[in-house]
Amino acid sequence: MPLEKILACLLVLVVIVAVGNLWFHLVESLLEKVKGLFTRGKSPVSWHTLPPEESGGEDRSERD
Amino acid sequence: MGLFSKLFKGPEIDQAKSDANAKKMRALFDQVVENGANYRLIFGYTEDVARFNYGFVHGSKTKIGNLIVGWNEASQTIVVVPTVPDLSGCGDPTYYRRAEILKAYRNKYPTDAFIIYPDKRSYIGINAYDWLEDESLYVYVSQEAELAAFTEFFLNCFTKK
Repeated sequence: MPLEKILACLLVLVVIVAVGNLWFHLVESLLEKVKGLFTRGKSPVSWHTLPPEESGGEDRSERD
Repeated sequence: MGLFSKLFKGPEIDQAKSDANAKKMRALFDQVVENGANYRLIFGYTEDVARFNYGFVHGSKTKIGNLIVGWNEASQTIVVVPTVPDLSGCGDPTYYRRAEILKAYRNKYPTDAFIIYPDKRSYIGINAYDWLEDESLYVYVSQEAELAAFTEFFLNCFTKK
């Protein structure tokens, strides 16, 4: 098979993979936004940050 | 000769990083669990596999949840604390006491996981390895001895059918 045909086939496959990935991430982000609409009123999950002496003295705030 | 021996040796563990992460795991665990010092710790993770079909793109996606797993042999209790790979924080602990759970066993296929059924409706599958290199998904910690101890505790003291 001539080199140009091989490269053309490879290019088509790369485009298919790229388009597939873009589509996947687009749909995922839309679904996340729709999910967010239904969970707007929910209280956030409890989260505890690392104590300051273990995090190297960095300033951290706790979100509850 | 030197190049081949390096290739066959495989990846080397950064022990300093592993020890620092082990210290962070202990600090987080003791912060949220009462008498946390009475528990030995390992790092584990959960895998939630879901299928998706977005028209011409379909497949499966795996969600990894990081856990600090503590166990106390005397009280036959396993405590699980959700966390993140960089150990910047953690969630609330969940207690699994052998007397209160429905079932617990070690699953070999398809994955090597420690399964706990607290009741009929829910379960947790804890996966654990002695070392995982991917820091974007897992906590970087070397835990061969601790994992062996946890495995022995789970199989000999915690299993329930």
